[in-house]
Amino acid sequence: MLEIKNLHASVDGREILNGIDLSIQAGEVHALMGPNGSGKSTLANVIAGREGYEVTAGEVLFLGKNLLELAPEERARAGLFLAFQYPVEIPGVNNLYFLKAAANAIRKSRGEPELDAMEFWETVHQRMELVKMDESMLKRPVNEGFSGGEKKRNEIFQMAVLEPRFAVLDETDSGLDIDALKVVSDGVNALRGPERGFLVITHYQRLLEYIVPDRVHVLINGRIVRSGGKELALELEEQGYALYSKEPGRARRANA
Amino acid sequence: MAATAFADAAQYHREFEDFAAKRNEPDGLLQLRRQALQRLETLGLPSSRQETWRFTDVAALGQMAFQRAGDAPVAADRLPLLEGPHHRLVFVNGRFAPGLSRLQHLPDEALVASLGQALLTHPERVVASLDQLKGLADNPFAARNSAFWEDGAFVYLPRGVVLDLPLHLIFFASGEDTASYPRTLIVLEEAAQSALVVDYRGQGRYLNCPMTEISLGSGAVLDFHLIQEDDPQAWHLGGLRLQQEQNSRFTGHLLSAGGLLTRTDIYGLLAGEGAECHWYGLTLVKDRQLGDQHLLLEHAKPHGNSRQLFKGVLEDKGRIVFDGLIRVQQHAQKTDANQQNRNLLLSRQALAHSNPRLEILADDVKCSHGSTVGFLDPDALFYLRARGIGLAEAQSMLVYAFANEIVEHIKLAPLRERLEQLLSERLYPAAERKV
Ligand SMILES: Nc1ncnc2c1ncn2[C@@H]1O[C@H](COP(=O)(O)OP(=O)(O)OP(=O)(O)O)[C@@H](O)[C@H]1O
Ligand SMILES: [Mg+2]
Repeated sequence: MLEIKNLHASVDGREILNGIDLSIQAGEVHALMGPNGSGKSTLANVIAGREGYEVTAGEVLFLGKNLLELAPEERARAGLFLAFQYPVEIPGVNNLYFLKAAANAIRKSRGEPELDAMEFWETVHQRMELVKMDESMLKRPVNEGFSGGEKKRNEIFQMAVLEPRFAVLDETDSGLDIDALKVVSDGVNALRGPERGFLVITHYQRLLEYIVPDRVHVLINGRIVRSGGKELALELEEQGYALYSKEPGRARRANA
Repeated sequence: MAATAFADAAQYHREFEDFAAKRNEPDGLLQLRRQALQRLETLGLPSSRQETWRFTDVAALGQMAFQRAGDAPVAADRLPLLEGPHHRLVFVNGRFAPGLSRLQHLPDEALVASLGQALLTHPERVVASLDQLKGLADNPFAARNSAFWEDGAFVYLPRGVVLDLPLHLIFFASGEDTASYPRTLIVLEEAAQSALVVDYRGQGRYLNCPMTEISLGSGAVLDFHLIQEDDPQAWHLGGLRLQQEQNSRFTGHLLSAGGLLTRTDIYGLLAGEGAECHWYGLTLVKDRQLGDQHLLLEHAKPHGNSRQLFKGVLEDKGRIVFDGLIRVQQHAQKTDANQQNRNLLLSRQALAHSNPRLEILADDVKCSHGSTVGFLDPDALFYLRARGIGLAEAQSMLVYAFANEIVEHIKLAPLRERLEQLLSERLYPAAERKV
């Protein structure tokens, strides 16, 4: 479903991704772990099409399409979703209105008729229950004044409404309390299915107890240095990343 | 009638004598007109060497010849009518148009009429209030209006009188190289209340020099809206004086969208304790439009509260000037004043000059101001696009949201809806142009 081959990307001439190979099939959940600054969000952003990253080599195929040629909105319409590590506040744009515009833009690109207000409201209601989101948040401007946890919940809620084929969740678990973590995980699990793939970026093994991954990858300095089954996450939790760092100085600091 | 060079004193003196001879006015009024003419002569035409006219060059007026605007037929469908029940006075080229006007039932003591009518029925009321407020003494366009105004609107609400229906004033200008000087005089006595919408519209290459005076007695409440949608070739140089007594509340909304060169100078005096003055302004410029707002709010007594939020959206080579000064006099302790100016650039050729200022002589006050000029937030754009919303639509949503922060404060639903419509028509296609 998602095929990343030898992906190199840099920001302002500095290479951040150093040749990433990653293949995720429909129905699979992959976890991506790695220390701060290793390039996890960069990978997510390059997949989603954010400006400011230069892809210097490699390719990304999504459902057979060359993803890197598409504008961000075209990627979303093709079925890609990014749950942001830092969701953006958009004053003055109503959350529900925004979501409807998004849903309809996606439908339109597929030649489907726009949802009428009733149909849309039904979907929204159902999904709201799924992630236990309060109705009042729909009436507020997108993410404005939302707490950290509310923002993350709103991301998963949007994902549930838009029903993408493939979702990248960038540290959706950070900042969530224990109950919210459970709710968000349940939301993701409810969307899991043979047609859908996930790349879950996280720092914590705990999330992966709820969203059990098929594969776990370790990203260090812009390269996947190890891949394994779900037990790899446990191992990382115990040992940290020191093992994978080539620089002795870094290793010592990480051990300390 | 011969065209009169705008800046030629000898000629406008002649024009004035002609004009004054034909008006049958109380001596007091003629006196005021002569004083204004005197001021006009001293002030001359502003030059960009003057600090307050630095970014707004009106020198071209010196070369232009404007005739006094005459009568012009205007079809009702050209007027920006409001939905729902309201009182309406329409003026074409500064002259009352009774056929287009319509008053509903008014409270007995209320006086809502053209100034011309009011001068016939209640001359003493007009003379007592006209040109009596402080402010804009150094503004030649205000002086010009005071010398040359022909007609306009007069609203007098005695103590405790509340106008239930909104009052809509429409000033329509029409003509080529014509000038008109609409005048509006609003007097709300103690605890009177009203909502007022003033619309400026027109057709042609004209000069519009309106002047508005508003006086609020203690506890009076006025919800005021000034909507400027003049012809894209027109010049609009307006003035507004406001004076507020104790605990009065003024909420002003100013939307400036039309004209080639437009400027409104506002002076507000919080003359009584606990007065509250809120301004929400939105200026939209495109092509080579220039939109200028100059505001001076003066807190003279303690416990006053003032808020200013002025926003601008600039397209193409549009330019915006904002100059706002909050002046707090020595005795105006516990003043709470805030002023914000925010400009959104949709083109790299657009230019915004923002000059928010504070002048504080009291020591126990809460005053703040701020100003920003910037492009659309790229993170917000990406967020919307990452959800499938196209670039053009995403830009539109953000621009609309920015501008609507001003419009959404309008309580008068028919007006708010009209302006929302204006925003979406004007800003949606605009945002499609790539920044
Ligand atoms: N737009 C950018 N401009 C400058 N530097 C950037 C940009 N995006 C990423 N970087 C740099 O690239 C490196 C990788 O950042 P990235 O956000 O991908 O890390 P991460 O693995 O997601 O870290 P974290 O776990 O802290 O979220 C960092 O050194 C970061 O400073
Ligand atoms: Mg990150």
